[in-house]
Amino acid sequence: MGSRASTLLRDEELEEIKKETGFSHSQITRLYSRFTSLDKGENGTLSREDFQRIPELAINPLGDRIINAFFPEGEDQVNFRGFMRTLAHFRPIEDNEKSKDVNGPEPLNSRSNKLHFAFRLYDLDKDDKISRDELLQGKAQLLPVEDRGGRLGQCKVLRMMVGVNISDEQLGSIADRTIQEADQDGDSAISFTEFVKVLEKVDVEQKMSIRFLH
Amino acid sequence: MSHQLKGRGEEGGGGMRGQARSGSLGTGDRSRRSPSMKRPHRAEEAPGRRRAQPGQKERAGGSPGSGSPPRKQAERRGRRELLGDRERGSAEKICRGRRKKDGRASLREQRAPSKREKEVRRKEEVWKQLKKHRSSSMASSTSSGESLSEEELARILEQVEDKKKLIASMRSKPWPMSRKLAELREAQEFLEKYEGALGKGKGKRLYAYRMLMAKKWVKFKRDFDNFKTQCIPWEMKIKDIESHFGSSVASYFIFLRWMYGVNLVLFGLIFGLVIIPEVLMGMPYGSIPRKTVPRAEEEKAMDFSVLWDFEGYMKYSALFYGYYNNQRTIGWLRYRLPMAYFMVGVSVFGYSLMIVIRSMASNNQGSTSEGDSDNFTFSFKMFTSWDYLIGNSETADNKYASITTSFKESIVDEQESSKEENVHLTRFLRVLANFLIICCLCGSGYLIYFVVKRSQEFSKMQNVSWYERNEVEIVMSLLGMFCPPLFETIATLENYHPRIGLKWQLGRIFALFLGNLYTFLLALMDDVQLKLSNEETIKNITHWTLFHYYNSSGWNESVPRPPLHPADVPRGSCWETAVGIEFMRLTVSDMLVTYITILLGDFLRACFVRFMNYCWCWDLEAGFPSYAEFDISGNVLGLIFNQGMIWMGSFYAPGLVGINVLRLLTSMYFQCWAVMSSNVPHERVFKASRSNNFYMGLLLLVLFLSLLPVAYTIMSLPPSFDCGPFSGKNRMYDVIQETVENDFPTFLGKIFAFLANPGLIIPAILLMFLAIYYLNSVSKSLSRANAQLRKKIQALREVEKSHKSVKSRATARDSEDTDKSNSKNDTQLTKEGTAHHSASQSQTLDQKAQGSGASSSAGKTVLPASQHLHVSRAPGVRPDSGQAQPQAHPWRSTSGKRAWRPPH
Repeated sequence: MGSRASTLLRDEELEEIKKETGFSHSQITRLYSRFTSLDKGENGTLSREDFQRIPELAINPLGDRIINAFFPEGEDQVNFRGFMRTLAHFRPIEDNEKSKDVNGPEPLNSRSNKLHFAFRLYDLDKDDKISRDELLQGKAQLLPVEDRGGRLGQCKVLRMMVGVNISDEQLGSIADRTIQEADQDGDSAISFTEFVKVLEKVDVEQKMSIRFLH
Repeated sequence: MSHQLKGRGEEGGGGMRGQARSGSLGTGDRSRRSPSMKRPHRAEEAPGRRRAQPGQKERAGGSPGSGSPPRKQAERRGRRELLGDRERGSAEKICRGRRKKDGRASLREQRAPSKREKEVRRKEEVWKQLKKHRSSSMASSTSSGESLSEEELARILEQVEDKKKLIASMRSKPWPMSRKLAELREAQEFLEKYEGALGKGKGKRLYAYRMLMAKKWVKFKRDFDNFKTQCIPWEMKIKDIESHFGSSVASYFIFLRWMYGVNLVLFGLIFGLVIIPEVLMGMPYGSIPRKTVPRAEEEKAMDFSVLWDFEGYMKYSALFYGYYNNQRTIGWLRYRLPMAYFMVGVSVFGYSLMIVIRSMASNNQGSTSEGDSDNFTFSFKMFTSWDYLIGNSETADNKYASITTSFKESIVDEQESSKEENVHLTRFLRVLANFLIICCLCGSGYLIYFVVKRSQEFSKMQNVSWYERNEVEIVMSLLGMFCPPLFETIATLENYHPRIGLKWQLGRIFALFLGNLYTFLLALMDDVQLKLSNEETIKNITHWTLFHYYNSSGWNESVPRPPLHPADVPRGSCWETAVGIEFMRLTVSDMLVTYITILLGDFLRACFVRFMNYCWCWDLEAGFPSYAEFDISGNVLGLIFNQGMIWMGSFYAPGLVGINVLRLLTSMYFQCWAVMSSNVPHERVFKASRSNNFYMGLLLLVLFLSLLPVAYTIMSLPPSFDCGPFSGKNRMYDVIQETVENDFPTFLGKIFAFLANPGLIIPAILLMFLAIYYLNSVSKSLSRANAQLRKKIQALREVEKSHKSVKSRATARDSEDTDKSNSKNDTQLTKEGTAHHSASQSQTLDQKAQGSGASSSAGKTVLPASQHLHVSRAPGVRPDSGQAQPQAHPWRSTSGKRAWRPPH
């Protein structure tokens, strides 16, 4: 199966992916075999259902949003390249990467890109702010801005995280407190800089890394 | 070859790591880790490596480029064989340490059988030649199955060179001598450690071996830690409870577990050093009067009701003090039982004191080292609390519960800290509550005193009913059952934070129990004095009986009379055993009352509420009876006082600790079950204070208080004349003197006598006081210094943060640039707002600009959201005005928040 994976993957494509994501050759082929094993439709792309078959994602309260992060805006399929681009956020930062190419484009797995990935999981309407509503409710791809007042939200983050045994009122106050804590400029929403500040002490470089096999 | 070996090594490492973090997103599927899947990796290794080192000569060596497919395939096949061989080989190698030394040779041997990979080997030869000059170490490092990547190696090489240069030029450096020495030492250490990696021959093998061992050691430690966690008893149960009921309830169970451990040690001590020797080597039952049931009690001695009261055969067993003989040595081991009895009694207290104080100290350490990372409590919980590796729905449920609980705990803390109140009213209510509670305490104290007095009268009477006999226990249990809820009701007047309220409640119930205990003890003392005063007459009677028995007329003088049957010998009341029985009964009745309370008050109530709810006229679950909450304070104190009882009683009833171990064991399971099945979480779940030092402090107090009566009886009461290991002596501690005189050489006896001189003891005590004073002041000044240092670190961090935030803002801007998906105009705006500020500009300025940019953008796009926010602010947590306002300086904001935090 491994051999099939590497033959299906064209060399030049592999080269490009390597350049873009920083994965090594073997990692790419390895992930490609993973990709094909997830791809039940066998059409070279993954659909949302494919992702939902991963138990860790199915059970995760943010699972839907993580899955969404794999898909470019307005699309229902993701190809291997997109898949790799998203996964590259989770590549651990290596020592020698820190020093080199300061002026080149920032690699996908830098701290701020990792944080931005996490930020986008919460920032549903992509306005670079996490508002109270976004914490409480909302389905990312379905809700245009004007629709947010309507109670469409099927996957409320907080609700999902705490289960059923907490009242709506309390949830609201949790969301309020969260925003109050993090909010610095008084716009009642968490901007990316504020988000970064909150997670300043968290070792994001390490926590948001998956040790891909070499 | 070297390259290939390295490949294997790396893969081994990678595989292991993959295993360690199973189920993560990219590597989630376990099947990927199977060996068949790994193969392409090694095939691809070569080009990857080559690309990583473009400066090297590899390309020139004619090794294949990116590899044409057919050739790669062949290569792969070959290596597959190799892999199997090699793995077997490495396993063997670990077994046989010797072969590790000539790893390369052995590998070659192993490779010999697999004939098919000529090509591979040829390539390897090429590789070897190519890299000979620099990477010879790789072979050795990989032959020992560990990984060192090319980059790492290069880095180490560089560093080693640096260090060497440093050592060489050390002399000419214009540094002070101390620094030179320090640098030199550091450099040498480094060289010693890493030179092996790059050197040749022995050094590199040694290095490889050391690296291997280090890795093995790390892995072993990790496994061992896992193993240790698995070995912690009831850990899963407690975690389960913690996730549903919060840390405060869990703290009780942790305390219970700790207590069980302590009791197990005490049990081992007493059982192993006193009871077992007595049973094995002491005189058997029925041989002497103190080990025999008296004639008058004999017929009833096996009745259950008698045994249940620890009379009859129970009383004359090794469970109690009176059973032990005063023979100096027993058995062929010449075991000095009285001495052992005394020493064990003392060491029970010694061990308990030591362990309590030690755990208090370690708790303290834990709490001081705890950082102050709770600036963003809610945000942290919101953004980071989910564990992304959870793939099991049951675990996920537990995680939900624990997140909920932790949120609730934080909410309570927040509410409490932002509460404002009418100070005068609160004060008045608190005084009132305390007054009421003191009245209750006095009343209950008097009640107990009254009952104890009455029971003394009852004990003189002949036939008393069951109730009259057990009146004291019943009254005490009832008090223990009804007073705590009463106190709790009164305490609601006070309106404390639940955590502080719990402490008050604990203190009050402690006072109640203490009063009860001491009244009980005083009554017991009266009893003991009475028995002691009777002892003299009984002693005379015994002497007379024996005298008459042996000297009575009408018996043939030449034949010695058979000794009087031990059951017929009249004997004293043996106050020590009486005390032991009292404690035993109290412990057992306490246990039963606890269990019955749980069964009736919690379980039956829960059943009633649950099932009668279908056919009742109001909602039972939400309305009046509802489900019970777990009573932390009552349970903790029950545990503590029970332990006090054990400490007091264990000297007179060695079997008491055994009973207690059983009690704790059953109550662990029983209460765990009861909590999970029939209790509901507290309405206001609150976080337990970080250390349960309050419990420990109470325990220490109880330990001290229970030490007093025991010490008093040992020091100042004469032991009974005809029972127990110290009978016939003036005081119990005479046994030490006796041992010193008889068993130790005389000069040691002199030394002891000298040491016991008050002229020496008083200065020693004084010295101890001085030492305590000194250490106390030292620790105070140290803690002050600690606080100051922490402040300084905090300040430093703030400064650092303000620097960093400038930088991170710049990077954030970068990432926004690159991110095409969010092409909203506010990005543009932010960029424009900050573009003309360079990173080196003052931080506040930058932030202001940023803030204005951001807020204006918010005004455009997030308007609905923010409006909504203002309208529907929940009443649970009131927005703090200071928080909601924009804050120009991060330092100010965080320090404000810190002061605003609830005290722990």
